[in-house]
Amino acid sequence: MTLDRYTCLETVRRLDDYLDRELNIAERHEVERHLETCDRCLHRFRFEAGVLEELKAKLRRVNPPENLASRLRDALRTEGNG
Amino acid sequence: MDHLAPSYRLALRLTGSSEDAEDLVQEAALRAFRFRHTFQKGTSFKSWFYRIVVNQFYTSTRRKRHTSTTSLDSLADATDIFLFARSADAGLLRPDADPSANVVSRMAEDDVARALAALPDEFRAVATLYFMEDMSYNEIAEILDVPIGTVRSRLHRARHMLQKQLWTVAEELGIVPSASGAGAGDA
Repeated sequence: MTLDRYTCLETVRRLDDYLDRELNIAERHEVERHLETCDRCLHRFRFEAGVLEELKAKLRRVNPPENLASRLRDALRTEGNG
Repeated sequence: MDHLAPSYRLALRLTGSSEDAEDLVQEAALRAFRFRHTFQKGTSFKSWFYRIVVNQFYTSTRRKRHTSTTSLDSLADATDIFLFARSADAGLLRPDADPSANVVSRMAEDDVARALAALPDEFRAVATLYFMEDMSYNEIAEILDVPIGTVRSRLHRARHMLQKQLWTVAEELGIVPSASGAGAGDA
């Protein structure tokens, strides 16, 4: 099946799903075909991808407290004995 | 204990407080222990445990009557590509600019976490699962026990709400010019 070429609006609507790899192959191909010829949308997509990467990196930078594992072991031991 | 660090990360971003996150992980671990017979062999332990963490989070927020600090109404009108559009309006975008040189890259981790914490609970839950792990919509749907279409629509809205809230935080910090024109940084 051949899809009609996406407009800018149709492409931007698929931005999230494209970045999350949730589009099917045909849709993904059509988005990429549009991006090859539209600098404006390409700029938007790169911006959104950059924001996404920054958000993931910053929100994931967390270390659990050192005593959490021992606290959980104690709690589970008490629960097991109860 | 392999899942301890990611579970704590999830709990911290859900609750917004290290103390509450520790309590949440402990409550979830105890609950998982009590109901360990409900875990089905051959399925993902991580998904099963994360579901317990999220459900426990909902239970505790209801108990504490905790609500996010920002009303849904104030975030509901967030539009597509909010940060991009605002950045363009503020003259912060250049076609040749490095895409990683965006507003978020100039914010500290705590500031980003503060913006996430402002989202209403159900949107924060889906966004947190999404940002913490490279999970598919289907995996998130399994954890939240909702249809995949609900994940897609909630996540879509959550991302736009978060972008709007990030811009608000960036305005407060003077990283971007504020709407009122006061306290604008020379970005």
